[in-house]
Amino acid sequence: MQSVTITLDGREVSGYPGMTILELARESGINIPTLCYDPHLSSIGACRVCLVENEQSGALLASCVTPIAPGMVINTHSPRVTGHRSTIVKLMLASHPDSCLVCDKGNRCQLRQIASDMGIGLSEFQRIPQMAAIEEVNPFIERDASKCILCAKCIRACQELAVEGAIDYFRRGFTAKPATLNDLPLEDSECSFCGTCVALCPTGALMEKERAYRGTTKTATQTTCPFCGCGCSICLEVKDNHVVRVTPGKQDAVNHGTLCVRGSYGCDFIHSPDRLTKPLVKANESFEEVSWEQALELAATEFKRIKDKHGPDSLAVLGSSKCTNEENYLLQRFARCVLGTNNIDNGSSLYNAATRIGLGTSIGFPGTTNYVSALEESEVIIAIGADPPSSAPIVGYTIKRAVKYKGAKLILIDPRRTKLSSFAYLWLRPKVGTDVALLNSLAKVIIDEGLLDEEFVARETDNFEACTKTLEEYSPEYAEAITGIASKEIRAAARLYAAASQAAIVYGSGITQHTSGTDSVKALANLAILTGNIGRRGGGIYALQRENNAQGACDMGALPNFLPGYQNVSDAQARRKFEDRWGVSLPANPGLTALEIVEQARQGKIAGLYIIGENPVLSFPHSSLVTQALTSLDFMVVQDMFLTETAKLASVVLPATSFAEKEGTFTNFEGRVNQVRKAIEPLGQSLSDWEIILRLADKMGCPLPFSSLQQVMDEVEELVPLYEGYADSQRLHEDELSIREAGRSYRGQLLRGFARFSPVQYTPHVPRQIRGREGKAPFLEAKEGYPFTLLTGTILYHFGTGTRSSRAWRLKKFSPQSFVEIGEADAQKLGISHCDKVSVISPVSKLTTIAKIIDGLPEGTLFMPISFPETPVNGLFDITLDPEAKTPSLKACNVRIERVGPHGEKEDSRTS
Amino acid sequence: MAKKKIVAQADLARIETVIAEYQNERWALLPLLERIQQEFGFIPPSSIGLIAKGLRLFPAQVQGVITFYAQLYTTPRGKNIVRVCRGTACHVRGGKTILKLVKRHLGIQEGEITPDFEYSLETVACIGCCALAPNMVINRNIYGRMNPKKVALIFGQHGRQ
Ligand code: SF4
Ligand code: SF4
Ligand code: SF4
Ligand code: FES
Repeated sequence: MQSVTITLDGREVSGYPGMTILELARESGINIPTLCYDPHLSSIGACRVCLVENEQSGALLASCVTPIAPGMVINTHSPRVTGHRSTIVKLMLASHPDSCLVCDKGNRCQLRQIASDMGIGLSEFQRIPQMAAIEEVNPFIERDASKCILCAKCIRACQELAVEGAIDYFRRGFTAKPATLNDLPLEDSECSFCGTCVALCPTGALMEKERAYRGTTKTATQTTCPFCGCGCSICLEVKDNHVVRVTPGKQDAVNHGTLCVRGSYGCDFIHSPDRLTKPLVKANESFEEVSWEQALELAATEFKRIKDKHGPDSLAVLGSSKCTNEENYLLQRFARCVLGTNNIDNGSSLYNAATRIGLGTSIGFPGTTNYVSALEESEVIIAIGADPPSSAPIVGYTIKRAVKYKGAKLILIDPRRTKLSSFAYLWLRPKVGTDVALLNSLAKVIIDEGLLDEEFVARETDNFEACTKTLEEYSPEYAEAITGIASKEIRAAARLYAAASQAAIVYGSGITQHTSGTDSVKALANLAILTGNIGRRGGGIYALQRENNAQGACDMGALPNFLPGYQNVSDAQARRKFEDRWGVSLPANPGLTALEIVEQARQGKIAGLYIIGENPVLSFPHSSLVTQALTSLDFMVVQDMFLTETAKLASVVLPATSFAEKEGTFTNFEGRVNQVRKAIEPLGQSLSDWEIILRLADKMGCPLPFSSLQQVMDEVEELVPLYEGYADSQRLHEDELSIREAGRSYRGQLLRGFARFSPVQYTPHVPRQIRGREGKAPFLEAKEGYPFTLLTGTILYHFGTGTRSSRAWRLKKFSPQSFVEIGEADAQKLGISHCDKVSVISPVSKLTTIAKIIDGLPEGTLFMPISFPETPVNGLFDITLDPEAKTPSLKACNVRIERVGPHGEKEDSRTS
Repeated sequence: MAKKKIVAQADLARIETVIAEYQNERWALLPLLERIQQEFGFIPPSSIGLIAKGLRLFPAQVQGVITFYAQLYTTPRGKNIVRVCRGTACHVRGGKTILKLVKRHLGIQEGEITPDFEYSLETVACIGCCALAPNMVINRNIYGRMNPKKVALIFGQHGRQ
């Protein structure tokens, strides 16, 4: 490409064609003030503050929208330019209230910064009357149109980045302002309170509403969001050891200047009064505060006693998909070297084991095969069993951007109406649990109509014939009978997907948490390799992870059957590598999975349990059985930030720090390794999980040979092939923005060199029947009279089982109580009206909540969010396992619903 | 109010067929809005969502365009639009009095609509024939050299005393 040379303030500089004057100036170190420009947004030249002068023509140009042309002579700060610029700023000030002294935007206000840089004080222009602020009841965002300079950053952020389209210009002239449809408060619009507009607004027109601190902080730390698997870069602003504000971070290859409501306003949990600050030991049914010394001593002695008495396999460890990679690495080493057992698993196993096995078998890589940003280049996107706008908002934004601005076509496969439905080109609504039949049928159509990528299939796959044979019977008509989707639509979807030169599949726990999860994942992978959509620019498989470090916890070997880097524990050679490095001999038999640990505890075979940052009482199915199992343990240590439902059952509770108080890395669902940096000192006596693990190992008399996190990283790099180069990237200084896209990510080639078709069959879901290990008695007998299928999922304003989000006061205030969604027809039949109190009853449990009538749910289906600790939805589930992944079904179960007492008052429960 | 609702509801089906002609054509927003307004006299707010969906725009975007143009209306207007000129030339020649008289005849203020939906009253800044001041326009007809008698006559002729 030919470069373009222009003269900028008397200096010759060159840029590439199409570059704007502003971009080139910034690159050349010349500062041109801007108000409406942002690199993440399309430029519209609205504010004119960036104007510059073309010396040859005398024209004044808005530099943010003017491309450079060869031979241009541009002045950015000539007297004429500064004169006009200052007039513009003064005009803005004339229509702006003189409230700077009391405005909380303070020194962060860009209008004020520019005015003071230019030496402008009060404006001599006649003042223009101002508008009234809008009353909002939401706890997140406050708007004051009188301070608005109409730069439209918020409008563009909402339309181009978050793609909610909640706001746009409203009216014209002096009365113009950004407004929602019908000028209503934000909570009555499409707004999802992502906070992107607030972060971009140059003035005090958009502000955080209920804010912990009103000033400008001096310290800010770039770190990674602790909620979902997207792994957004966030910036924690700190005042007096308090995190007072969260804004989108600078290392934003994932989130591009956006966040979601959880990232922006959900970190309040860090300073929740519920935080544990001292170690607790249970004595006579109540907890007593003790010193670290005492607590660790007790834990060490008990673990040692149990190990000596019942052998190492009577101990088990439950690691956390929320802790850092380093902590998970240390924890598995603790389990294997110090305790001497492979009984270690992490909470994400409940939903991602199907991905690990399914994708592992098919493509030889246990995770997402492409970057989120590449989704925007896809021509066709299949989203199945996932509600990204709630569970992985960044993926939601990306899909919406692809559809809205890049012409991608979305095939949405979801029985429930979600935010994506209105973006879908085809919306298929299969009966719950029939995904395999649908996916097989799509594959069959592609093969029958010759739409497959024959070259790819011949060159890079095997087992094609076997797979074709199983597909025989899955004609669209057959699939229609099972799934309820018209055969015509199945054909259309197959053709659409196969015709695209780059097509992506996005799936989430709606796939992996069914009993047929592993099969569905394989069927999805079959589709992708059939069409050669692996390793292509905009193609691939995106396996959404629910938690921030679900991927990392598994990569680090917090798994019963894998050493770090998915090296099989039963493989002697793999074991030897670790034995040599660690200087111990490792147990060769695979350990117990999370659910097996609980089950064996119930049977008395596990006597001691060490749980870090997990809350099985709420997150596992069948709470009462889990509680029973955990209480029957000899000894349990729970290490957490809060006294969770699980911690209450423990013998010793160790106070852990939040993500804001520690260093380390999280691996997001793409496989990107993101840095976690310490923003504040640990609260009270709490300690980082990694420090606690090291201390406990010391106390047990088997110290782990690490004195710093860097040493842990170095060892990870050495032993985990996927993390090659990662320790180095962690040495980057905080100011360096380019986190290296370290080794973990999929590199485009098939690791094994080929992909394998895995024939899978649709097996009808037999409700309430146990398909676990042989010889095990079912927990419960089947019962009649449960006509509804209850679907569960995440809602945007909460997270996981709600341990943290229910303690984030703004989230809690906005979405205070749980609910069950029911379709209008069903509600009418049962005489249930909106906001009625209802009971949801499954064969194993029952809970009471509020009914919310919505449209968009198929008849006979209910939906409940899992994140409210008061209504433990997972407790309704029986333990029904995926035969291969041994993961429980936590997505759909059979229930009935009944109204309790009189009709409730019809107030709107503002949720979801 | 009730009447307004009924009008809007009856029209929605028709509006949908008009929108269908412009399906997915983002550029067609203005022509579409003009057509709807021509046919129904105004753009019912309840149609904004439909328009947005048809053209694949955000509802707030559609509203932004409607509220930007003074000539696009989201409230019903009378069958006949009366515009009294408040430009300088008309003002000098008694435009203010004409407006007062028209208001009295119609029994409404400017920006309002008669209860029987016959007349809307608006003011304009100039209609481009100052030589005939003071001026008034009803629908597409210009009435120049207005005086109180003429006001009475015109509104008599339009079926009003
Ligand atoms: S509210 Fe803020 S971001 Fe939006 S237009 Fe006004 S000044 Fe710009
Ligand atoms: S918070 Fe997000 S969704 Fe709401 S108006 Fe701002 S950008 Fe749009
Ligand atoms: S919860 Fe997920 S999408 Fe939201 S800010 Fe955090 S990482 Fe980003
Ligand atoms: S920054 Fe260029 S016009 Fe606003």
